[in-house]
Amino acid sequence: MAQNVNPFLEQQSSSNKQSDDSRKLQNDNHAVTKRLHKELMNLMMSQDKSISAFPEGENLFKWIGTISGPKDTVYEALKFKLSFLFPHSYPYTAPTVKFITPCFHPNVDTNGNICLDILKDKWSALYDVRTILLSIQGLLAEPNNDSPLNSLAAEKWTDQDAFKKLVLEIYKE
Amino acid sequence: MNENNIDYKTAWVLIQKVFPILDDNTNINHLDGTATKNEFYEVTDVVVKLNISKLIQDFIIDKIEYRFRKEIAPEFWSYFGHKIDQNSTELKGFNQFYDAVNSLYHGYQYMARIVAKLDLFRQATQIGDFVYNESDTQSALQLICKSTLLFHLNLDYQSVIMNFYETALKIEDTDEINTEGQCFNCLHETQQCNCMYLFKETNRKLGELCLLEPLCGQTITNLIYNYIYSHIQKLCKDSFDSQFIGLLEKWLQEVAIKWLKTVYCFEPTNSFEKTLEILNIKLTNFLNNSYTKIRIEQLFNIIIEYPESLPALEDLKLCLPRTDLKPYLTKTLQRAMETRLLHPGVSTPDVLTAYVATIRSLRVLDPTGLLLETVTCPVHKYLRSREDTVRCVVSSLTEEGPNDLAEELVRGEAIRIDENTTMNEDEENWETWVPDPVDVVSTKPTGTRRTSDIISMLVNVYGSKELFVNEYRTILADRLLTQYTCDTEKEIRYLELLKLRFGDSHLHYCEVMLKDIADSKRINQNIKQDSEYSENEIPMSTMIVSSQFWPPFKEEKLMVHSKLKDQIEIYTTAFEKLKGSRTLCWKYHLGIVDLELKLADRSLNFSVSPIQATIIMHFQDKNVWELEELSKIMQCPATILRKKIGFWQSHGVIVEKQQDIFSIQEGLQPNENNIQEDLFVEDYESESAMASAQDQREEELQTFWSYIVGMLMNLETLPLDRIHQMLKMFAFQGPTLECSLQELKVFLDRKVREHQLIFSGGYYTLPK
Repeated sequence: MAQNVNPFLEQQSSSNKQSDDSRKLQNDNHAVTKRLHKELMNLMMSQDKSISAFPEGENLFKWIGTISGPKDTVYEALKFKLSFLFPHSYPYTAPTVKFITPCFHPNVDTNGNICLDILKDKWSALYDVRTILLSIQGLLAEPNNDSPLNSLAAEKWTDQDAFKKLVLEIYKE
Repeated sequence: MNENNIDYKTAWVLIQKVFPILDDNTNINHLDGTATKNEFYEVTDVVVKLNISKLIQDFIIDKIEYRFRKEIAPEFWSYFGHKIDQNSTELKGFNQFYDAVNSLYHGYQYMARIVAKLDLFRQATQIGDFVYNESDTQSALQLICKSTLLFHLNLDYQSVIMNFYETALKIEDTDEINTEGQCFNCLHETQQCNCMYLFKETNRKLGELCLLEPLCGQTITNLIYNYIYSHIQKLCKDSFDSQFIGLLEKWLQEVAIKWLKTVYCFEPTNSFEKTLEILNIKLTNFLNNSYTKIRIEQLFNIIIEYPESLPALEDLKLCLPRTDLKPYLTKTLQRAMETRLLHPGVSTPDVLTAYVATIRSLRVLDPTGLLLETVTCPVHKYLRSREDTVRCVVSSLTEEGPNDLAEELVRGEAIRIDENTTMNEDEENWETWVPDPVDVVSTKPTGTRRTSDIISMLVNVYGSKELFVNEYRTILADRLLTQYTCDTEKEIRYLELLKLRFGDSHLHYCEVMLKDIADSKRINQNIKQDSEYSENEIPMSTMIVSSQFWPPFKEEKLMVHSKLKDQIEIYTTAFEKLKGSRTLCWKYHLGIVDLELKLADRSLNFSVSPIQATIIMHFQDKNVWELEELSKIMQCPATILRKKIGFWQSHGVIVEKQQDIFSIQEGLQPNENNIQEDLFVEDYESESAMASAQDQREEELQTFWSYIVGMLMNLETLPLDRIHQMLKMFAFQGPTLECSLQELKVFLDRKVREHQLIFSGGYYTLPK
């Protein structure tokens, strides 16, 4: 039966179906891309040098971020790299953010996962890459010791000198 | 036994009597001998009996050769030997050669008679074999004569022969005839002149000796080549407005070949025709070659004079395929361009004009465009290095009046920047397709479509439409803002033409700009009809431009006079009411003010810039101002202010009473009347209201720099092409933002020099 059908036509019709779906996705993607482009531009134009982020490669949905450790904390003068993974439903869903640079911190586990409310249930479409970066920077200065991912760090936090030693031990660029 | 009784001695004497040449002492004039017929046959009998006929013949030939060697040839060459007297070069040269040929001819005649006798001898003694493998003894003699002469070749002989034929040619050349009817050579009256006879005689004798071609051929050819060359040069020096090649070919047949016929007509007929045929081919080829070469050397001038020089180009087009001078053309033209066009002394519009002329001319020569591409490559490179090229192109594109580029634009078709797209139209015309010419070295792979549309080529110099469109936008903005007229009809027409070429999307911004002008007119009317809007003593109309779409303005600080400021505020409120959420952001320094000044003794009308108007308005409030004070009020630097006040000074309205103190001059002193005229300073500044292209570019690059810092901060190290790629993906978004790899490299290198960037191993990094 299938032998009598022009294979070229068949191919076309099936690809038509596919493209219908993908077009919808594309439209969505277009809005996301536009938003990400805009965020990138704002970020590039901002004068704040302590935070930064940029797409990792051709893929606009994968970024690398950099924050400097806040002043007067154990993290001062250190630089931390973070990975951003934006879902296609961004900004209605929060991006997945992880530490790439090993970070000894009560709310960061050994795999770099971060426990931060705005990345979970408190996420809002009004947040953007910049606010995420600032929040994480803030988290470094003031950890939330009530819900630790790294209990050792939570314990040691009170002794800042010992804590700093552990931070430097783990930290590598 | 008669045979045995032969007296060898008497036999030898007899033989010598028959062939006196056998005796070396015989004078050349007595070589014929006095022997009778009987004696001759006696000799043959004896020779046959003794069977030495062959020996005798060889002996005779040997002696003939000896005579040639010892007497005839030296005498012939002796005419060439002594140096020609400088004063009467031509006369001597001419007669010298005639005498030489004459003596040779005589000598040869003697020998010919001996050879004739030898022939009889051969018949009688029945010698079968040939002398020097020649079919008869006469040609053997010619061979001997030729070889002996050429063996003794004299160093100066060519100059003598050259003299001879040159003189003869000059005598015949109708152009050179002496006005007094004298022969050019012997200075006799033309009727009594014998020169032509001498000339003919010489040729006849040489022809008879078969020496014309071996001895003089080369010289004659050289002479006629020079003759042709100088004739061409004389004919077409600096005149490109008519076709010459037909004329020249006719001349070649009628003059040059005809003259050669008179020289060669004494050759034996079969070789005469052959010689002429060869000469004809050779000379025609030479004519074409020389003419083409001369034209190629003039090509730059020809191009500059296009289209008046079209006939010369047609000639060249005709001749070029007959020669293999295309590589020469490419090289010569390129060199001419480099030395005459591509240097700082030539203004960009001139380069462009020449470039357009080149495109048009070469389009005539080579419709495939390959030649054009090769030749104009350096021009492209050069134009790219000039800063004002784009501006020149764009402004001449849209200029008033007769202009090559504007014509092209009107003529136009859409620009195809992308040269690699194969056009369907090509496939349709496959039957008429011709391969590229092979004799032009091309750097581009074949198969790319070449365009010879002038505007496309100019745009291609930069390889991007954006740059052109941008420049056009700036120029358009300038024009709209300096004219302050709402008459945009002409501009719209140009915009439409440009749209045809560059496509709608690129010119969208310009369209908005023109729409702004029309909108401003409407809004002005609307606001003036508004009952709440009132105009105090200053009537005003505004030009409302959309900041998004207009190129950036040059920033200049200026605080206008409070009266005007009030008016402007009233206007702004009215506008806000009309447009809802929008407001106006004023550019005080742009605009034009019509003023009528009423001074004590006179009233003056001016049309000035806002800053000048503001100055005079301040003087209306107060007669004397200190520069510093005024500068503070107007928020304008004192130096600029001083310059602007100069305008009023030149009109005698303001005077500088003391250093930095200015006051209004109500009444003119009578004696100052004239001086003011001299002082007049033209203050019409032709400065652009737009930020300069360079400033804009700098700003763009600054944007790129932020992105580059961003990417390097996060991604640590990147090579150049990755940076470029990233910028292309994330940073080039506006219609204007673009940056070539080359430009980026230059920019990054600069940053490296400024220690803002580290470059190592092909990767860029931020310094720690």
